[in-house]
Order: sequence, then structure tokens, then C-alpha cells
Amino acid sequence: MKDLHFILLLLRKEFLLEFRTRSAISGIFLYVISTLFVVYETFVKIQPNVWNTLFWIILLFVAVNAMVKSFVQEKGNRVLYYYSLLNPSHVLIAKIVYNTLLLLVLSLLIWGLFIFFGDNPVKDLGLFLLILLLGSFGFSVTFTFLASLVAASNQSSTLLAVLSFPLIIPIILMLVKISAHALRLIQDTAVSGDLAILVAIDLLLCGVALLLFPFIWRD
Amino acid sequence: MIEKGKIWKFSGVILIVYVIIAGLLIPLKSGIESVEPSYGNAGETLKIQVTGYNTHFKEAGNSLRAWLKWDNGKAIAAAEMVALDERRMNLTFSIPNNLPENTEVQAVTLLIDSETDGTSVLPSAIFLTQTEKVLATEEVPWVKPENFSNNGQITFPFRNILGETIRNTYFHVPLWFGMMFLFLFAVIHSIKYLRKGDAESDLKAEAYTQTGIFYGLLGLITGALWAKNTWGAYWSWDIKQNMTVVALLIYAAYFILRASFEDPEKRARVCAAYGIFAFSTLIPLLYVIPRLTDSLHPGSGGNPAFGSQDLDNTMRMVFYPAVIGFTLFGFWLSSLQFRYLRLQKLREDVD
Repeated sequence: MKDLHFILLLLRKEFLLEFRTRSAISGIFLYVISTLFVVYETFVKIQPNVWNTLFWIILLFVAVNAMVKSFVQEKGNRVLYYYSLLNPSHVLIAKIVYNTLLLLVLSLLIWGLFIFFGDNPVKDLGLFLLILLLGSFGFSVTFTFLASLVAASNQSSTLLAVLSFPLIIPIILMLVKISAHALRLIQDTAVSGDLAILVAIDLLLCGVALLLFPFIWRD
Repeated sequence: MIEKGKIWKFSGVILIVYVIIAGLLIPLKSGIESVEPSYGNAGETLKIQVTGYNTHFKEAGNSLRAWLKWDNGKAIAAAEMVALDERRMNLTFSIPNNLPENTEVQAVTLLIDSETDGTSVLPSAIFLTQTEKVLATEEVPWVKPENFSNNGQITFPFRNILGETIRNTYFHVPLWFGMMFLFLFAVIHSIKYLRKGDAESDLKAEAYTQTGIFYGLLGLITGALWAKNTWGAYWSWDIKQNMTVVALLIYAAYFILRASFEDPEKRARVCAAYGIFAFSTLIPLLYVIPRLTDSLHPGSGGNPAFGSQDLDNTMRMVFYPAVIGFTLFGFWLSSLQFRYLRLQKLREDVD
């Protein structure tokens, strides 16, 4: 119970910080809207199979840009202060949960804008929402952990992209495959197996990240 | 005398030398490369020309025997055999009016046996067409192929399409095994670093990762050369090839990460954490995702797997030493690289 209490407190801190410095979050929202606008200006008409890939690629780039600052604030004296107070796992869990929620909102925004500008190719709403959640969680775990690695370097945004894109490939391949099913592009009976693999990859990465984070956090 | 601690290095080198000599010099078993024409009709006298590989048709002389065999075990012997040279031979078969199966087109297997070459088999060598059954009963001289000769030579199996490229099993596959062992040791040393904070473990992890990437590149190149000869192109955008490149990109990023930190302790800690995280994504990347999609690579989609039925005993005698030899050699390379890195670090400290 005490763990949960700490995590909720940290989560609240994340929301408060984000709310007080609204420039970052509004920047990301604007990034999403302009990207979508550029996409529709250049593509004009988007076929469902292109839509499927495009959606996840846009979410990937949005995620990199949104997550890179996860640990930028936690530098210098403030880290020392946190370090004396908190358990590192709580910090990471709170960040992962916060980033998952943020990505979920952003992915819903991207989806909504896609519907607004064009039409909605998604046929299986429940399945699509489920993989939005699983995808947001997977992206959040990978990017949050890697952001904590590169936070100390000078060129963290380039480094984060270089480190994370190859690592995200297993997740994004599974996502595109299952989402093709939600769009009825393929008929596949093994969709529950694919979902299980996606969950397994997410949990594996989350577990490894939780094990390793205490070592990186100590400065 | 060789020092005790060096025995594994020498055995690695000896095994690799053995693998190169045995793997490249042991000949392939004789086989049937092609048959022309590869189709015929029921009731006709079918004359075909057989092209063999590593065969000695002339030398075999009277010991040559040939059969066409159906799936249900029925076979007819060749009516006439004329060896044109060591690799080419004309065969004549009297195809019965009533074929033994019920389908319109029936695939038959060609079997050739001789004392010099042993037995060669070409499945689905000829497709025979039967438009309608002839009512008149006929006496077909059905035979059962038996008394196969064994020439007692040590050979590697002959496979159509694969041909001589079957020898790549002793280089491509062991290099991959070696790469996985090297990456595994890099992870073990990374974990050691995070637990003990010993600077040498960090250098060891770096050295193992470097040799691992080197092995990975060699594995990729040997695979691509093999693919050119069997799949027709160096790069086919096959899922296994793509995932391999992704794995190498992941480890290339490791070195970018190393280069971007000034403080050695911070660098060691971050790189150890990244190394462990990266290794844990290799498992879905190399062992789960490729199994979900069709692939040309042996082991998936009906292609011959690298398993019990694909390695015969002669191949095992070379393949297992190759795995052990390349792995030991990789460890030796890593230890040399580690000593180089350690000296480099010492010089930096002195400066």
C-alpha cells in the first residue's frame, strides 16, 4: 500500500509539473496537428494499408519527442533530494504510467484527427483500443527507460532516436500486424496469440527496465 | 609445452583448421542434377537424359541400375541404359498403359544405383500424364528396388539447389552460435559491472560486444553469399535478414552511446544497462518475430530445417567441432581485444 501511495504521489507531481509548464505539452499537441496536416496535404487520399503503417510511424515520432524530456528536469541538486527520499522503482513506475497515459491521449488525438481529415478505416474498435493501450505502454517503457540513459549526455534527442528505433521494432511489428487485423486488412485466426506475444514483450522490457533503473539513477 | 591456460585457445584454432580442411575437401555424394524431359505419357516408351553430379556413369559400367518409382512402392526398371560420359546417361523406360495411381498427373521418383557411386534419388523427377485408363489388362513387370550398393566413401549429402553450398553449414551457422555466446558473455560482464563496479568488467563487456558484432557481420556476409547461390539474390528482404540487421543496429548504437559520455564511470554504468536491455530485446527479435512470418530461410515455411533430418552423421562430425571451434576462437579474439582496450586505457590514464 505504501508503494502505491508513493507512486500516486509521484504521478501527481508529474501531472502538476506538466500543468504548470504548459509549453511542453502544447508543443507536442501542435507537433501532432502539424504532422497530420502535412501528411494529408501530401498524401491527399490514404489507403487503409498505408493508414495502418502511417498511424504507428507518426505515433513513434510523437513518442520520441514527448518522452525525451522525461528525465531532463531531474538533474543536479533535485536528484540528490529525490535520491534521499524515494525508491527508484517508484520513480520509474510513476514515469512509465504517466507517459503511457500521455501517449494514450496523444494516440487518441492522432486517431481523431485522422478521422476528422479523412475517414475511419478501423473496423474492430475494441481490438484497436486494446492495442493502442498495449502500444502506448510498450513505447512508454522503452522510451522512458532509454531517456533515463541518455539524459546525462549532451545530444539526448538524437541519441534517443538512434537507441530506441531498432529496439522498438519487435513492438511496432506486432502492433502493425494486429492493427491490420483490426482494420480487416488480413484475416488471421492467431490474433490472440499475437496479442499474447505483444504483452509478453511489453512485460519483459518493463521487468528488465525496473531491474536496471536503480543502477542508472544513482549518480 | 603449452601452458595449461592456453589449451582452449589452441584447441579452438585446431578445430577451425580441421573444419576448413574437412568442410571444404570432403566431396559431395553423387546425385541427380536434372532430367530432360521431365514429363511423359502413359503407355509410351520414354527416353530421358539424366545429368548427374559427381557421378561416374562410364566407370560404373554393368553395375548401373535405374528405376522409376511411384509413391505406393511400385517401380519399373529401366529397359535400356546408355552412359554418354561420366555425368550424362540416356535411360529408356516402357511406361505402362495403366498407371498405378488414380490421379491424372503422377509424379515419379528416379533412382539410380551403381557400385562406384552408391544410390542417388531425385524425387518428382518425371510427371506422367494418364488421360484415361486402358481396359485391356497388361502384364507390368513391377519390381522392388533393393540391394542398394554402398561405396563406403565419406561424403556430404547431395541436395538439389543447395549443391556445394551445403558446406556453408560449417561457417554461417557456427558464426551465429558464436555471436550469441559472445553477446551472452557481454551481458554477463555488464551484470558483473553493475553489481561490483569493477572497471575491467566494463572493458570486457565492450570487447565481447565488439567481437560479437564482428561475428554477426561475418554471419551476415556468409548468409548473403549463400543466398545469392540458392535464393538468387544477396538480399531478399527476408524477415530473418532484416531482423539480423536490426540486431546489428542495436549493437552499433551501443558504441554511439559509449562515445557520447565523457565520464568513464557514468559511461560504464549507462552502457552496461543498455547492453542488458538490448540483449533482452534480441530474444523476441531473433527467435519470436521471424517465426510469425513466412521466410525463405531454412527452418521455416516448409524449408528444410537445420535439425536431425538435415544433418547426416558425416556433417555432424564437422558441424559440432565448427560450433565449438568458432566459439573458442571468438573468446580468444575477445580476450585479445580486452587486453588492447586495457592498455589503451592505461595510456590515457598516464597522459
